[in-house]
Amino acid sequence: MKNQANPWLTSNLLVLGLGMLPAMLLVGALLYFTAWAFAFSFTDLALVGRKAVEWSWVGFENYERLFTRRGFLESLWTTVIFVFFSAIVGQSVLGFLLAAALRGSASSIRSVVEVCIMLGWLLPDIVAAFLWSATTNQTGLINQLIVVPLGFPPINLINDYALPVVTIANIWKGTAWSYLLFSAALDSISREVVEAAKVDGATPFQRIWLVMLPIIRPHIATNMLFITIWTFTYFPLIFAMTGGGPGTQTQTLAVYLYLQSFSRGNLGYGSAISVAMLVIVGVLSLFYLRLLREPK
Amino acid sequence: MEANPAHSRLTAIALAFMAVIWVSPFSWLFLNAFNTASTGQLEIPSAVGLDNFAQAVSGNAGRQFLNSMLIAAGTATLSVVIGIAAAYPLSRLKIPGRNAFLWTLVLLRMLPSAGVLVPLYFAAQRGGLLNQFGVIIALTILNLPFTLLLLKNFFDTVPIELEEAAYVEGASLFQIVTKIVLPMSRAGIAVVWFFSFTGAWNEFLLPLIFARVQDAFPMSVGLYAAFGQQGAVDYGFLAAYSIIYAAPAVGVYFLLRRNMNTGFAGVGVKG
Repeated sequence: MKNQANPWLTSNLLVLGLGMLPAMLLVGALLYFTAWAFAFSFTDLALVGRKAVEWSWVGFENYERLFTRRGFLESLWTTVIFVFFSAIVGQSVLGFLLAAALRGSASSIRSVVEVCIMLGWLLPDIVAAFLWSATTNQTGLINQLIVVPLGFPPINLINDYALPVVTIANIWKGTAWSYLLFSAALDSISREVVEAAKVDGATPFQRIWLVMLPIIRPHIATNMLFITIWTFTYFPLIFAMTGGGPGTQTQTLAVYLYLQSFSRGNLGYGSAISVAMLVIVGVLSLFYLRLLREPK
Repeated sequence: MEANPAHSRLTAIALAFMAVIWVSPFSWLFLNAFNTASTGQLEIPSAVGLDNFAQAVSGNAGRQFLNSMLIAAGTATLSVVIGIAAAYPLSRLKIPGRNAFLWTLVLLRMLPSAGVLVPLYFAAQRGGLLNQFGVIIALTILNLPFTLLLLKNFFDTVPIELEEAAYVEGASLFQIVTKIVLPMSRAGIAVVWFFSFTGAWNEFLLPLIFARVQDAFPMSVGLYAAFGQQGAVDYGFLAAYSIIYAAPAVGVYFLLRRNMNTGFAGVGVKG
């Protein structure tokens, strides 16, 4: 094929192959571990105790438990709410609005706002969790600045409104990604197209809705794909802020999976949860990829 | 772009408001970190000093900083080196199905890492790798699909004509790669290194399970363990510790900021 034209490649196939070897070994390990996780989901393997050694195959029992016992479906619902409000509504919409607003702003404003937003994204998950616990507790910033001056008794937000608080914390943390992606997307729209729409008398709203959004549709789908999947499996922030509590209010699937696998030690059941998550994520990805491919 | 000055002023005010909201949670962090008599309250410090920072770089905390550095730099460098060695052939040789293969890997990595952690844990336990080195290898395995895909995309943008010209001039494969391909995709490599570095620096779950003793904790686990303890919590120390923990990830970003947009273009367009 075309390789014939590239003698520095064809004469060094062995070297190139050797270069690929370490990566292929690690990829092989990844596939192997994934297959193993899949196999575990059909066993009653435990982290400690008798069943850590003498485990046995239990067929689809773990998968039945997903639907018959409390926990999984509840966590799935919590996850759906968390993903919908923090990623799809919060991060995407806010990220897009920011990108659109900053597009026409002076570069100094643009860099200041950009840096502020990026700080949330760059901050390690555990620090963000620590920060938001401190901001939303009874003596925190929100109580001291808003609730108490308005004459209300201080509210322990992180305890009383746990799910909204972690949702907001995740919006705070993740908006930068959507912003950067949309900002790059909007930069790729030629000014002439927007100007032409303006000359034809389109309002700003029409310019965004009818001109810009259709052009950047692939970017929207890409963004949705990434943030949905990330948020769906996002673990450290919620776990460090609430540990899934109070009760099971913020127990998303990722937290549920961790608690079942490593606190309760039910590795078999935990694997079934992660396989179920993989299936859900896979279906969502296919949906978004179709959205991405579909012609105008 | 907007012709209407009142409108653009309104936008500017809204943006400024957003920026203030966005940074406001940091107030607590800085007020407590520099307060030598911190009580965890949000208040103007009565005594300002750097004692908390001194405490946060010595002893156990300093050790955890080194652990995090080792894990993050080790993972990033290993990922990039292994990634480059495989991504260049993947980019240049017409191996059938390579793109489908890479995308499958990336989708595979979308599975919650806690799922793969169970077998990883068992393998590491059997191989005696429940330590920093094990964490580095495990993170490299988990990183590799993204690394390969991104690096291949960057190598794809290097025009092959340059390599042809160099070959005609008598350059060897090694020279072509080190003198042409790598310098031309420097921005991309920096981005990939940065992503791996911050990813490993922030990683919490894997070291939480792998690191059994306090000496081996990286900062993420150390911070979690410290603020998980109820009772007499030293908030000033924790705030200073958080700032030190956050600094490298933030700092590396600003160092590489110019390269970042290039990197994002690669992610977005190829999506």
